[in-house]
Amino acid sequence: MLDYSRKDLISDIRAWYTTAFSGNWVVPAFVAVWVVLVILPLVVMVVHSFFEMKNYQVVYDPSFKTWDTLIETGRWTAVTRTLRIVFTVTLIELLVAFPFALWLAKVCQSKATKAVIITLLTIPFFLDPSSRTIIWRAILGNTGIINTVLLELGIISEPIEWMLFSEFAVHFGMLTPYFPTMVFPIFLVVNLIDDDFLEASRDLGASPVHTLWYIILPLALPGIVAGIVFTLVPLMAAWVEPDMLGGGFVNMLGPSVEAAIRNLKYPMAAALSVVVILMLAFLLVMLIVVMRKQGSMGNIFHAMKR
Amino acid sequence: MTEHGSNEATATASSKAAQGKLLTWRHVLSWKIWTKLAKWIGLILILLTYIPLVWLAVMSFSDRPLSGIPYPLSFDHYRELFDDERWIEPLWESVVMGLVVALVCMIVATAVGRAIPRMRKPGGVILIALVPLFVPGLTMGAALFIFIRSFLELRLGLWSIFVGHIVWAMPFSLLLVLIIATRFDHRLLEAAEDLGARKRRRFWDIEFPILRPGIIGAGIFGFLLSFNELLRSVFLRGSETTMPIYNWTMTASHMSQVPIIFSLSTIIMGITLPILGGFFWLLFSKLDRS
Repeated sequence: MLDYSRKDLISDIRAWYTTAFSGNWVVPAFVAVWVVLVILPLVVMVVHSFFEMKNYQVVYDPSFKTWDTLIETGRWTAVTRTLRIVFTVTLIELLVAFPFALWLAKVCQSKATKAVIITLLTIPFFLDPSSRTIIWRAILGNTGIINTVLLELGIISEPIEWMLFSEFAVHFGMLTPYFPTMVFPIFLVVNLIDDDFLEASRDLGASPVHTLWYIILPLALPGIVAGIVFTLVPLMAAWVEPDMLGGGFVNMLGPSVEAAIRNLKYPMAAALSVVVILMLAFLLVMLIVVMRKQGSMGNIFHAMKR
Repeated sequence: MTEHGSNEATATASSKAAQGKLLTWRHVLSWKIWTKLAKWIGLILILLTYIPLVWLAVMSFSDRPLSGIPYPLSFDHYRELFDDERWIEPLWESVVMGLVVALVCMIVATAVGRAIPRMRKPGGVILIALVPLFVPGLTMGAALFIFIRSFLELRLGLWSIFVGHIVWAMPFSLLLVLIIATRFDHRLLEAAEDLGARKRRRFWDIEFPILRPGIIGAGIFGFLLSFNELLRSVFLRGSETTMPIYNWTMTASHMSQVPIIFSLSTIIMGITLPILGGFFWLLFSKLDRS
C-alpha cells in the first residue's frame, strides 16, 4: 500500500488513458449500459403485468389477475380497435407511398425537385407533435374553416359533425405524420434497383405489369418491409392523434396505457404495453416469413450490390 | 473554352442516358396516368403536412384561433405570450436537454460507431443497439417508468427524461456514424502508424475528419429528437416540464391557453424551419459536388 508512489499513479493514469483510447472496452460497456436501460426495463415490464396493485402498492405475488381484468373490463375492444385502425392507416400509406417512391426514385429526373421533396419529407420528423395535431381542430371542427366556408357558401345547412372527434379524424390525423416513414425505406431500396433489369425484362417481352410484379416488387420488398415496420411501430402505441382528434370516442392502446399510468394502475399499463409489443413481434415475424417465401434474401442483396 | 465544351458534351450524354432510363421506367409505368397519379397523391399528402403548419401561423394572428375564419386579426396572443412567463422555463429546459443529449450522442456514437466495424461479429451489438427503434415511444416510456419508479423506486426528474431521450436518439446517431465508419479504410490508420503517428494523432488527424459528417449528423439528430420528444418524457418527467410537455398540457387541458400555444409554436417553427431548410440545402449541395 505504502509503496504506491506518485510515479505509479502517473503510470496507472497513462495505462488507463491508453486502454481508454484503444477502444476495446467501449463496445462491451455500451452493450452493458444498453441492457440496463433498454432490455431490463422491458423484461421488468413483462414481469410487472403478472402483479397486482393494492393500496397504491405493487404486490409482488405473481398471478393472472391483471390479465383477467384486462379481458373482462372490455379493454380488449381497445386492442381490436387499435389493430383495425393501424392496419387501415398502414395499408393506405403503403398504397400511396409505393407508387410515389417509384416515381421519386426513378421517374423524377430533376435533382432539385428530388432534394426539395426529400427535405419536405424529413422536416416533419422534427415538428412538435401536439401543435401540429391540435391545429386540425381549427380546420375540421364544427366552427373550423371547412365547415365555416361550406356554410357560408350554402353548400351545407348544418356543420358536418363527423369530421372531428371521430374515427375519421384519427385516421386522417395519422395519415401525414406516418407518410415519410413509409416512403423513405421504399425510396432508398428502389433507388438501388439497376435499370438493366427492366430493360432485360422488356427485351424478353414482359408486359409492364409482369415487370412490376416479377422484377420491381421482389427487389423492392426489403424496402416495403422496412417501411411497414417503421410505420407500424409508432402507430401501434399512437397517443397524441387518438387523444386530440378522437375526443374520447376513439379509445386506442396508447391512450389506455397513459390513462392506466395516470391512475397508478402500473400492472395494467404493463399488461397493455406487453400486448403492444406482442402484436408487433407477431407482425414482424410474419413479415419475415413472407419475405423468406418471396425468394431467398441472398438473391435480393446480390441484386442490390450490382 | 474547351473544358466548357467537353462539360456540355458529358452533360448531353448523361441526359441521353437519363432519357434512356426514363424510357424503360415509362415503359413499366406505361400508363402515363398512373405515373401522374402516383406523383400527385404523394404530393397532396406532403401538402397536407404543411397546410396545417401554415394555418397554425395564420391563426396565431387571429382573435379567436379555434374558429374558422382568421378575422379579426390581432397581435393580442403574442402580447399575452410575452406577458406570460411560464413557457420560458420549459423552453430553456428543452434547449439545455437537447444540447446535452446531442453532446452525449456525438461522443458515444463516435466511440461505439468506430469500434463496431472492427469487430469480427458486429451483428449482435447492432441488433441490441437498434432495439429502441422497434419499441413504440409510449411503450418504452411506460417500461422505463415502471422500471425506475416502481421497481427501483427512484425519484423521477430531469435525469430520467435524459435517459428516455438517449434511448430514443442514440440508435439514429449510431446509424449515422456507422454509415460512414463502415466505409472507412483502416489501411489509412496502418499507414499513419508506419509513419510514426501516435494513437491520439491517428484519431484526431485521420479518423475524426473522415467521420465528422456522421458525428455532426448524430449531434443534430440528437438535439432535434430530444427537443420534440413527448411520448417518453410524459411518463419520465416527474415534476419537470419540457417544451413538448408544456405544449401538450396547454392544448389538452386549458382550452383558454390554446391561442398562446399557436403563437409559441409559430415562433419556434419560424426559428427551426429555416435552420432545417438551410441544413438540408447545404447537405444536398455538398452531396451534389462529391
